[in-house]
Amino acid sequence: MLFCLKRSLNEALKSCFSLSNRSREAVLEALASTVSRDPTAYPYQFQDDPYLSPRTSTEFKLFSLSQESGRSAAKYIVNNNPKLFTKDFAEPHIPCLMPETVSLRLEEVSEEALKERITLRKVTAAVDMYDQLLQAGTTVSMETTHSLLDLICLYSDRDPVQDGEPQTDDAEFGEELKKRKARVRRASDFLKFTWKENNNAERIFNLLPERDTRCYSALIRGMVKHGAYAKAFSMYTDMLNNRLTADVHIFNALISAAPDVRDKFNERWDLVAELLNQMNQQKVRPDLLTFNSVLKALRRCGFLAKTQALHTLNEMKALGIAPSLASYDHILAVFYKSASSAQNNTDLLQEVIAELEGRIFTCQDPDDVLFFSSAMRICLDSKDLELGYKIQSLVDVGENWRLLGDSFQQSIYYGRFFNLLCMMEHIDVVLKWYKQIIPSLYYPNPQGMRDLLQALDTDSRLDLLPSIWKDIKTLGHDNKPDLVEELLSLMAREKHSSEVQESFAACALDVKSVFDLRPSIEWSAASLSHITTLLLRANKTRQAWEMLQLFKSRNRVPSEGLLNNFLSVCHSDGDSQKAVQLVQLSAAFCLPTTWRLAKRALAEFELTEEQRAILSELETAGEPSD
Amino acid sequence: MYRIIFRTLLAPRSSSVNVYDSCVLAAKCDKTVFRVTNKCGVKTFSTSSSSLCEKKNNQDQKTQAVKEGDQAEVVKLKEEPAVLKADDGDATEQQTDVKTEQVASKQPAKTKNDAAKSGKESLLNLLGAMKVEVTNKRKLKNLKAKQSYESVTQYKSKAAPMESTISMYQKATGDDSSQSETLDPDLVAAASSAASTLPNRSQAESELLRQLRQHEAITEAQKKGDINNLGVIIAEMKVGKNPNRQNAWPADQIRFDDDGRGYTHYRGITSELSGVRKRRNLLLGKRLNIFTSAADEDGIEPAAAAKPTLWDMDFANQLSLSTNQMPRNGFEEMIQWTKEGKLWQYPVNNEAGLEEEAKVPFHEHIFLEKHLEEGFPREGPVRHFMELVVTGLSRNPYLTVQQKKEHISWFRDYFHQKEEVLKEADVYLE
Repeated sequence: MLFCLKRSLNEALKSCFSLSNRSREAVLEALASTVSRDPTAYPYQFQDDPYLSPRTSTEFKLFSLSQESGRSAAKYIVNNNPKLFTKDFAEPHIPCLMPETVSLRLEEVSEEALKERITLRKVTAAVDMYDQLLQAGTTVSMETTHSLLDLICLYSDRDPVQDGEPQTDDAEFGEELKKRKARVRRASDFLKFTWKENNNAERIFNLLPERDTRCYSALIRGMVKHGAYAKAFSMYTDMLNNRLTADVHIFNALISAAPDVRDKFNERWDLVAELLNQMNQQKVRPDLLTFNSVLKALRRCGFLAKTQALHTLNEMKALGIAPSLASYDHILAVFYKSASSAQNNTDLLQEVIAELEGRIFTCQDPDDVLFFSSAMRICLDSKDLELGYKIQSLVDVGENWRLLGDSFQQSIYYGRFFNLLCMMEHIDVVLKWYKQIIPSLYYPNPQGMRDLLQALDTDSRLDLLPSIWKDIKTLGHDNKPDLVEELLSLMAREKHSSEVQESFAACALDVKSVFDLRPSIEWSAASLSHITTLLLRANKTRQAWEMLQLFKSRNRVPSEGLLNNFLSVCHSDGDSQKAVQLVQLSAAFCLPTTWRLAKRALAEFELTEEQRAILSELETAGEPSD
Repeated sequence: MYRIIFRTLLAPRSSSVNVYDSCVLAAKCDKTVFRVTNKCGVKTFSTSSSSLCEKKNNQDQKTQAVKEGDQAEVVKLKEEPAVLKADDGDATEQQTDVKTEQVASKQPAKTKNDAAKSGKESLLNLLGAMKVEVTNKRKLKNLKAKQSYESVTQYKSKAAPMESTISMYQKATGDDSSQSETLDPDLVAAASSAASTLPNRSQAESELLRQLRQHEAITEAQKKGDINNLGVIIAEMKVGKNPNRQNAWPADQIRFDDDGRGYTHYRGITSELSGVRKRRNLLLGKRLNIFTSAADEDGIEPAAAAKPTLWDMDFANQLSLSTNQMPRNGFEEMIQWTKEGKLWQYPVNNEAGLEEEAKVPFHEHIFLEKHLEEGFPREGPVRHFMELVVTGLSRNPYLTVQQKKEHISWFRDYFHQKEEVLKEADVYLE
C-alpha cells in the first residue's frame, strides 16, 4: 500500500514538475490528488477539535455555522480596530492578515471620496456625496457614475450588510443574507426587498445629461433583480427609443423576467423569442447565461417547453457555447415535470448523462448546483439504478463533487441516492455504500433509516438490526418513536437462531434504557410488547416481567398473545408463582381474556391449593355467562 | 486455453441440439486463442493445435463428420471477404470483446471437472480446433496464411512494428482462393522472413514450416469429408454469422447463461443500444435558427477588456457561495491558504517575497567602488575611509542597492559640508 502511495505520489510530482509553466499551487495540487477520501473520518473542517465532531445533521449545521461565525467575528474585530493590529510579523508581508479599511477616510467633497464610498459599498453615503458634488457644480466622470448606478441598483438603494458588521438593522437584512447563504437565490427571495418607485437610482439616472447603454444596463438589471419586471421592459423600450443598443446583460435580465410579464405560455415564449431576435439584430452575442435564462424561462412555458428547450440546446451548441449543468438541469425539469406522473422513460436523462460522462465541470451558473440532485430525483422516480450509478460516478470525476452544492443540497442528493439503493440494490451493496457515505457525507433522516430497514427486511438480513440500532442512536434518531417501533417490530416479527435472539434482546434492552432516559416520549403498546417478546425469546424472564410492570405505569395494555407467550415461558421454567402473578396482572388490566389465561394456568401448572383458589376465582369471574 | 476448449466438449455431451451451443462457445474460445497468441507468442498456440492434430489422427472416423463442416465454412468465407477485411482492422476491438467473453466463459469453465475424453468429446475438440482456424482465416482470408500470421504475432511479441504485419497480410491474401495441398512458396517466404527477425533463425523457420504443414494436413483431411452430419452444418452456419458478432454476442451469451442475472444484463445492453439510437433523435435536433454562428464576432464584447463591474463581482460571489468550497484534506486547505497568500509557496524558495530584489544583479551589490568616482577625493584618508565603507556595504546582505547608494551619498554630502575643515587639516585633496 505504501508502495502504491509512493508510486502515485511520484507520478503526481512528475506531472507537476514536467509542466514548464506551473502554477503556485501545482505541488500542493499534486499532493492533494494522492489523498483519497476516508469514509471513516469526519469532514476535514471538524478534525481540529474532537469535541466538535458532528454526529447528526443538526450538529453539523451548528458546528459549521459557529466556525464560520467565529471567523466573521474575528474579522470584524480586526477590521474595526485597525489601531490594535499594526504589527506586521510576516516576512514577506501577507496582505490578507492585515485589517481592511472598512471606514471612510476621505471627508472632503470630491470625486475621490465618492469613489471610496462606492468601493466600500456605502450606498447612502455615496448618494449623499454625489448630490453634494452636483450642488457644488462639479461634474462627475461617466465611469464613476456608472459604478455608482451599479451600486445603487445592485442593492436597490439600501445599504448592504457589510461583512462581519453586527446586524443592528432590521431582521430583514439578516434574513436575506441567511437565505442567500442557505440556497441559491431566487427572485422571490427579494420580493420584500423590492425596487422602490423613484428611488435614488432613477433620480440620478433622470438627472444625467446623457445616458449610455451602461446606465440603462444598470437600471434594467437592478429592476429585474428586485422584481420590477414591467418597469424593466418599459426602460428597455425607452432605451430603444433613444437609439441605443442593449448589451448582453440587459437581454439576460429581460429574458429571465419574461415569464413574469406575460400570462399565457405562448405569449411568454413569443416574448423570449422576440428578445433573442432583437439580440441578433443588435449584433449582441449571447452567452451561456442568456441561454440558461431562456431555458429557465421555458420551465414556465408549459406545453411549449419540450420542443423549444431542445431547440435552444441545439442553438447553444451551434454557437459553440458549451451548456453548463444548469442548462441540463432546466431541460430535465422541463421533461420530467412532476414526480407523481409515472414517467418511466429515462431516455433523455440517459442521453444527457452519456453526453456528460467523464467530464469535469466548473461552476458557471449558480443553478449548476441543482443538477445532480434533480437528476438523482428522476432516477429515484423511475427506479433506474444503473443511471443512478452513472450519476454518482460523474460526481466522483475530478472536483465535480463541489457542484453538489452546500451541505443541504448535498444531503438531498445523497438522500435520494441512498433511497434508490435501498429500493433496488442487493443488501450487501447497500451496506457497502452505507459504510461509505454515512455519516461522512450524509446524515440520513428517519425516512432514510426506514428505507434501510425495509431493505434489510427484503433481503432477510435482520440479524444486522442491532448494529443499525447503534447507528440510529448515534444519528440521534432514537427519539423518533415511529422509527424505533418499526425496528422493534422487525426484530420481534419472527423467531431467529438463539445467538441472534440474544443480540436482539440486548438491543431491546438498550432501546428500553434509551426510552427510560427520555420520559417525554410516548411509548406505544406495540413497541412495549415487542420488547417484552424479544426478552422472552431470549429467556430474560426477569426483565420481561419488569417490562410488564412498565405497561401499567405507561397506561398501556398488553395483548393476549403476549401474555400467552409469557405463560408458556413460565411453564417451561416451571415457575408457577410467576404464572399466577401473570394472571393476576392480566386481571388488573381488566383484559376480557383473563379467564382463558387462568384456565390454561390451571390446566398446565402444578399449583398449590392457595394458587388454585386464586386462579379458579379469576377464571369464573371473567368467564362469559353463556 | 485448454480449459476453454475442453469446456466446449462438455456442453454438448448430452444432446445433439446443443451442438449449436458448443459452437458459440467455440467462437468464444477462438478469440481467446487470438489473444493468447498475442500475449505469449506462438508457443502455446502451436502446442495446442498440434495436440489437436494428434487427436485427429487418433480418431479419424470422427473427423469425417467434421470435414463437411469445414467445407460449408469455406463457402461462407468466400461469401464474405468484405466483412473480413473490416475484421482485420479492429484487432483492438476484438481484444476488448475477448475480455468480456472470458468473463462470461468462466462459469461454464468452472463446471468442467475433468478432461476425460470420450470419442464424442474428441470430435468436439476438433470442432474447437476448427474454430480456431476459422477465426484466423477470417483475419487472413486464407487458411494457410494462418501460420504466417502466427509468426507475425510472434514477431510482434518480440517488439516489432505493425507495418510488417500488414505487408504479411497482403502477401498472404494474394493466394486467397487457392486451397492448395502443398505449401505455397510465398507463404514459405513469409515464414522465413518472419523467422529471420528472430534470434534463433533456422529453428524458428523450421518450426513455422512444420506448423504450416500440419495444418495443411488437417485441412486436406477435413476437405474429403462428406455432408451427413446435420448438426454440424447448423453449427457451422451459426458461426458463419459471426462477423456481426458485436451485436450478436450479448444475446447469444445470455441465452446460454445459467445465471438468472443474465437477463438484466441483456436488458441493460439493449437499453444502452436503444439509447444510442435515440440520441440522434433527441439531443441532436433542430435549432432555433435565430443566431448565425460566429458570423458577427466583430463589434461585440467591448466590455471584456474593461475592469470587472460590481455586477461581475456579485456574480462571482454567488458562484462561490453556491458551490461547496470546503477543503477535504490538509493539502487542499494549504492550497486555499496559498491562494490567500498566507502560506509559503511550494516549492519552498528562500527568496520568496524578494521578487523586486531579484531583478537587481549581484554585482550591483558587490562592486560599489564606482559610486566613489564622483564627489570623493582620489586619495587620502577620506578616500581610505570610504573604501572601507564600501567594503563593509558590499558584504551586507540586508540592505538593498538603493539603500547602499543612499548610504554612500550621505557620506558624500557630509564630506562636502565639511570640506573647509578638511582642507584646513590638509586631508581633503583635490
